This record gives sequence, structure tokens and C-alpha cells, in this order.
Amino acid sequence: MFNYILKRFLFLIPILIGLSLLIFIFLYLIPGDVARMIAGPSASKEVVDSITNEMGLNRPLPVQYFEFLTNFLTGDFGHSYQSGKAIIDEIPIVFKRTLQLTIIVQIISFIIGGIMGIISAVWRKSIWDRLIMAISVSGLSLPLFWSALVIQLLFSIYLGWLPPSGYRSGFDLYIILPTLTLVLPNSGMLARVTRSAVIDVMNNDYIRTAKSKGLSNFWVITKHIVRNALIPMITMTGTNLSRMMGGVIMIEIIFTWPGMGKYVYDALLAKDFPALQTATMLIASLVIVINLFVDLTYGLIDPRIRYHN
Amino acid sequence: MNLKTIVKFIKKEPLAFIALLIVLSYIIIALFAPIIATHDPLRVKTSMNVDGEKIYAPYPPSKMHLFGTDQLGRDLFSRIVFGVRVSLFVGIVARGLSMLLGVFLGLITGFSGGIIDNIIMRITDVFMSIPAILLAMIVTLIFSPSLTSVILAIVVVGWPDVARLVRSQVLSIKNNEYVEAVEALGAKKIRIILKHILPNCMGIIIVSFSMGIPGAVMYEAGLSFFGLGIQPPSPSLGSIISNGRGYMMFAPWYSILPGIVLALFVLSVNILGDTVIDYFDPSYK
Repeated sequence: MFNYILKRFLFLIPILIGLSLLIFIFLYLIPGDVARMIAGPSASKEVVDSITNEMGLNRPLPVQYFEFLTNFLTGDFGHSYQSGKAIIDEIPIVFKRTLQLTIIVQIISFIIGGIMGIISAVWRKSIWDRLIMAISVSGLSLPLFWSALVIQLLFSIYLGWLPPSGYRSGFDLYIILPTLTLVLPNSGMLARVTRSAVIDVMNNDYIRTAKSKGLSNFWVITKHIVRNALIPMITMTGTNLSRMMGGVIMIEIIFTWPGMGKYVYDALLAKDFPALQTATMLIASLVIVINLFVDLTYGLIDPRIRYHN
Repeated sequence: MNLKTIVKFIKKEPLAFIALLIVLSYIIIALFAPIIATHDPLRVKTSMNVDGEKIYAPYPPSKMHLFGTDQLGRDLFSRIVFGVRVSLFVGIVARGLSMLLGVFLGLITGFSGGIIDNIIMRITDVFMSIPAILLAMIVTLIFSPSLTSVILAIVVVGWPDVARLVRSQVLSIKNNEYVEAVEALGAKKIRIILKHILPNCMGIIIVSFSMGIPGAVMYEAGLSFFGLGIQPPSPSLGSIISNGRGYMMFAPWYSILPGIVLALFVLSVNILGDTVIDYFDPSYK
């Protein structure tokens, strides 16, 4: 068990190195003279050259990569070209906002998706099952950027209930619309996963035993089924984390929610490379680490899952 | 397939049948876009006279312009028809290329195992850890936004899933006795892969290809929506939705209609896919 965990953690090293290499190469390939961008369009060639020298942009690539890696590992992320501020000071602020949005979305999706999935599975083939599955597949099929626009149009332009976009610290009205947009596909996905998990569990012998003991349907569901169905729900959250982050990025851009997603997009458009590479590295590393933890907790929830395989 | 089985299918899965019809009609729209479009999708007309009054674009839906027009007075119905064509083209080509790369790597890793398998699987881990839309945006910036860069971006984002899927399928086929038998007969590895393993993966490959098309279409639309995709004046569903954003208040049809067209396609393919998956899964019968 301990060996397994250690092995999994050691595996993180090549993956993170690979990740940094990928991001470094991809960002290097984006055309654009960084020194010229910093100096401004009217700067003379001498100024641009001196900036190039100062930043070490004319050094060989492996050297630049190695510097990027060591700087990243020591937490020296550099300064944003756009704001001029230290990236290490900016990231926690934007990260907190993304976390706030993501956690609320996850909690609500878990509750709605879970309940929908259980109803669907228990009354399988009923009209409710079909209705719920139709709703969840529709939720999955909506293009996020489009449903965001429609929700903005409905709730803030037509009804005038909520602000269309923006952010205010704390739990303000601003969080409602982005949350609603993200809950639609997420709860749909969770409903489907829960449904098939519950169906699998219900086919097990111990459920039949519990039922024949005279346990009422309600107790069978809450005591046995929900607990066992939780594993696939949590797994799905882990394996879909990357995809979910993609959704969060789009929603943050459209609702001008100033979190990690908006930060990384602004950096991308402005070719603010230090900010872009740091944010991308952090988002991807987070996905990798959380996936690892989901994998490991797996065995804690369900002792049947063997580590040796 | 005769008429009887078709009627039986319609009775058993009416929703899937409707979805199938919708998907077919999208294919027809894409193929015959120039015939179906009522106007030239690029023709600009910024003002026109209605009952002696001069009005300015965007015009609301009317008999002349079924879906209304955009801010330049270009007919939205025709733009959406051509947008479907562009989106489907990108979706099919991009998904096809992702499949090629993914199937190739999946076959190699699944069959060879060992260090090659380990390295390529770690590479898929790396690619899958970056949120797809972000990775796709970065790739489009490398090649500057265009049709080709969008296709490339979708391939970069799409292949890891395919490689993993094919790999797991190969792993389960590899241990079959008939594979061991041909191996014992001294067949070359390449022959075993092409003659015995690949054909047995075809089912899963075809399902994965078709189920991946809506995803590819969505990424194209997403990239175009954020201005990193297909460039004007060529219409794509995502770019039309994006352009309409600024006119939401007084021309809501502009963004809403192309979105419905996009969502309906994705929904139909998803419903079809669910039906196919249910059909092959005995526990759902």
C-alpha cells in the first residue's frame, strides 16, 4: 500500500516534466517578438535588442527551458507583461475566485445530478426515467458559450433580475448566472453516471438480500445504493476535471468572472507569456494531482479495489 | 435490412429514429448548401425600404429573410446553412485525423507494451491534463487562426482519448487464443496487428469516430466564438453566435438561431450514440 502510493507519487515527476516541456514548446512556437512587444511598436532596434539580451531571449532553447523549469519549481513565476505585477501575487487572488465558482457548481451538480440519477435508476424505463435522461442529454448537448448568452438574455436583459456579468467579492448575485450555466451540463453528466452506477449496484445480490429482509425501498436506496454509487460519481468528477476546467474557463470569459480562466485567456490574447505559462502549468498540475488523489481515495472508499493490479 | 426491421426499430426507438432523420438532414444541408441557401451568404445590404420606410440591419425574421439578417444585412438562414457545411466539414475531417493518430498510437502501445507503451501513455496524461479548450486556443495561436489551425487544434486535443480507448481494446483482444495461435504460427507482428487486431477494433473505432464528431464541432464553434477559429467573412456556427453577441438586446434571433441549429445536431448525435451503446450493453435491455 505504502509502496503503491510512493510509486504513484514518483510517477508524477516525469508527467510534470513532460507537461512543462509541452507548455514551453507550444508557447515558444507562438509567433511574436516578446522584446518588441514589451518595448512597444515605436521603440528603436537598440532598445529591443537590449531587452532581448536582458531577458535572455537569445540564449539557446534548452537553457531557457531549464531556467523556466527551475524558476517554476522555486515559485519564481516572474512578472506579468500586462499588469507588471508579480505573478505569484496575482495567482492566489484569481485562483480563489475560480475555486469559489467551481465548488458551488460541484455541490449543486452533485445534489441535482445525484437525485436525478437515483430516481432514473430506481424507476428505470418509467416516464420519469425517460424524462430525466432526456433533460440530462440536452444539458450535455448545449454549447456552453451559447447557453451562457441565452441565460444572460433571459435573466438580466428580459427579466432584469440579475447582473449579466462581472464580479464582486463574497457571495454576491453575480455568481448565480455562471453557476446556473455550468450546472446544466455538469448535473446532466452526473445524472447519467449515477444512473448507471445505481443500476449496477441494484443488480447485486446483497441488494436483493436487503430487500428480502424486508427493508423498505427508501432504506435500501439510502443505506446501500447511494453509498456504492458514490464511487463512480467521485471518479467521474476526477476524470472529468480537465473537461470541467475547460467549461469554467469559457464561462469565466463570457461572464467576465476574474478567475484563473479569465486570467489565462487574457494572458493568451495579450501574449503575456510568463502569466500564460504559469497559469497553464498550475491548472494542468492541479488536474494531475487531483486525479492522483481521486485514484488513491478510491481504495479507501472501496476496499475491494486492489492496489496491486 | 428490410422494411420490417426498420418499422420495428421506429416503434421501439422513436426518439432515435427522429435523431437519425435530423442527422441525415444536416448531412444533406451540408452537401447541398448552395442549393438550399436562399441568398448569397456574403451579400451585404445595410438598409432597405419596408412600406416606404427605411430600416437598417439587422432585420428581424421575415418572409424574405427566414432567420432574419446580421448587422450587415446578410441573410442569416443562408449563413447558417453554409455554417453547417463548414462546421460539419471541420468536425469530420478533424475527428478523422484524430482517429488516425489515436488508432495508430493505440495499436502500437497496446500491442507492444513495455517502455513504448509507458511513454506514450504518459504523454496522453500530459495532453489530457491541460483543459482541452485552453490547449486548442494555444495551438490556434501558433498557426494564427484559420480553418487549418482549427482542425490541427482539434486533432491535438482529440487524439489522446482515442489512443487510450484503442489501447484498452487491443489489450483485451491480444490475450485471445487465436492471436496466440497466429503468433505461434510465426506471423509477423505487423500482419497480426493489421489482419487480426485492427478488424476486431473496428466497431469501437467507428462508434468513437461518429460520437466524437459533435465534440469536434463544438470545439470549432467554441474557438470561432472566442475569435480564434474560422475567420470572417466565411460563416461558421460559432462565429455567427459570437458576432450576434453584441446585438443580443435588440436582435436576439441573431445568436439564438445558430445556437439552436448547433445544439440540435449535437443532441441528435448524442441520442443516436446512447441508443447504439444501450443496444450493445446487455444489462440495459
